[in-house]
Amino acid sequence: MNAFEYAGPTSPELAVKAIGRSGAAFLSGGTDLLNRMKDYVATPSRVVYINDIKPLAGVHASGGAMSIGAATKLAAIVHDKTIEAHLPALHRATAEVGTPQLRHMATIGGNLLQRPRCWYYRNGFGLLGMKDGKSLVRTGDNRYHAIFLTDGDALFVNPSSIAAPLIALGAEATLLGPKGERTIAVEKLYQVPKSAADSELTIAADELLTKVTIPRIRGKNATYEIRQKRAYDWPIVLASAALELDGSKVTSAKIILAGVAPIPWRSEEAEAAIVGKELTTESAEAAGAAAVSKAKPLSMNAYKVTLAKVAVKRALLTIAGKKYWEEA
Amino acid sequence: MLETEQKPPNNRASRRDFLRGSGLAAATTVLTGRATAAIEEARAQDSEVQVLSGEIPLKLNVNGEEKATVAEPRSTLLDTLRNRLDVTGPKRVCDRASCGACTVIVEGETVYSCTTLAVSCQGKAIETIESFDTGPNGVPYAFHQNDGLMCGYCTPGFVTSCKALLDQNKNPTLEEIQRGLDGNICRCGTYGGVFKAALAAAKTMKGA
Ligand SMILES: Cc1cc2nc3c(=O)[nH]c(=O)nc-3n(C[C@H](O)[C@H](O)[C@H](O)COP(=O)(O)OP(=O)(O)OC[C@H]3O[C@@H](n4cnc5c(N)ncnc54)[C@H](O)[C@@H]3O)c2cc1C
Ligand code: FES
Ligand code: FES
Repeated sequence: MNAFEYAGPTSPELAVKAIGRSGAAFLSGGTDLLNRMKDYVATPSRVVYINDIKPLAGVHASGGAMSIGAATKLAAIVHDKTIEAHLPALHRATAEVGTPQLRHMATIGGNLLQRPRCWYYRNGFGLLGMKDGKSLVRTGDNRYHAIFLTDGDALFVNPSSIAAPLIALGAEATLLGPKGERTIAVEKLYQVPKSAADSELTIAADELLTKVTIPRIRGKNATYEIRQKRAYDWPIVLASAALELDGSKVTSAKIILAGVAPIPWRSEEAEAAIVGKELTTESAEAAGAAAVSKAKPLSMNAYKVTLAKVAVKRALLTIAGKKYWEEA
Repeated sequence: MLETEQKPPNNRASRRDFLRGSGLAAATTVLTGRATAAIEEARAQDSEVQVLSGEIPLKLNVNGEEKATVAEPRSTLLDTLRNRLDVTGPKRVCDRASCGACTVIVEGETVYSCTTLAVSCQGKAIETIESFDTGPNGVPYAFHQNDGLMCGYCTPGFVTSCKALLDQNKNPTLEEIQRGLDGNICRCGTYGGVFKAALAAAKTMKGA
């Protein structure tokens, strides 16, 4: 990796101050950034280390809401009993990330802001994976790429396991920049890049993500993910669902998929299919089918359509307590 | 074809526009006076952020011993241990947080030293396999007795993960051992022996 200047500020404010120039990057657990730097996909001239800034770490519950500092390690989220009890969608997704070592290193902020795993991007062909004006993704090996928004040029998928449950749970992100603080919905951290010069992240280079806040949860939530390998890999498809229920009747639903689009993918079709219905195997199945009704897979990833359908169904049935796939 | 980390200028522009105070943006966004004040204060204390570059003196606490050396900020903990401090137990295999051969224990938790900057480990307790008990009650002995290795290149990483696991869970099930060692890969496929070794080590450590 290239040489860089290193700053280790002790407060979020000093971190923002230290980042204040072009070509600088925040370094948290480093599990994404350092690997991109080793491959020269990222070449910051200054690195601002934020992982030891005390006020940025920790899980705090207050008045039913839960706030998680951006530099909180994934392992700390997995060990939190309140999160395990009330936010199983977040707990499950976090517990499955990577490996034990990665969960000791990686932070929730870094997880939300990790860059895509598209192998064309990781090998220097830019976010859109273009060469000589042609999409390498469309004509090449796209088995792990998007099945939604595939009419556009951004065919990578958002890699975060944690964005989906946070969005389903209605979480907000707090950002600190040189001129102050702002709070946005977690889904607003992401955008579909329109050109190779665009980023898939909306956060400005000099903004620090300081925390995410999950509002008081009234209903039930769950995540179901499908992986090729148990460890050392990202889920191929993940579905998070947050429902409000009146008895077993669904009164509101938020269903978010990961691994299927360049942004965490909200399935309004699946939500519409389940709201107003009793939560049963049949309605969950119908919601899964609705979730993929508008999918347009690429040449090698039609299999993901089936996985997405099943993931939505199983996330819903996890909430219903009907985990038929775990019964022998 | 290489990109820099810079995020697109249009984001920054829209952010500035917002900060000039568009009513619409303000409705969806909250500015905190206190944070702004704190940044002003931070700006006044310019010298508080120390910026390091080039070869810098480093002090690392390795296996209970303060060790001093010189390295650049980009030096990983792994390379610093192996090449500067002659602590060669942790191995360099993938150098990408993807195999576990470089596993060390920092502040009680296993981490990949290949994907950790040495400069960020100053003031933290670093434990490597060099410090482990090699007697009959230790994890290395259990690997030896249970055929837990072939070429041996992954072994220090496995032994380190295993030791950290047993320090936190004295009585692990096979499933817990398997999950606990998920972050290590053995190219020779010695997993059977490794799991047996971990179970045996748990047993002797309890008896010890
Ligand atoms: C083998 C392997 C398997 C993995 N499996 C999974 C998986 O199953 N699911 C999954 O979701 N992820 C997975 N990951 C990715 C991993 O979870 C992320 O790399 C990690 O969460 C990033 O967090 P970090 O603290 O290490 O971030 P860093 O690498 O330090 O930073 C990541 C990016 O975010 C920016 N950043 C970090 N914190 C902030 C902040 N507070 N404010 C502003 N910018 C910030 C950095 O500048 C950088 O661009 C895997 C990674 C590996 C290597
Ligand atoms: S060398 Fe560090 S994980 Fe492979
Ligand atoms: S013993 Fe050879 S890699 Fe594990």
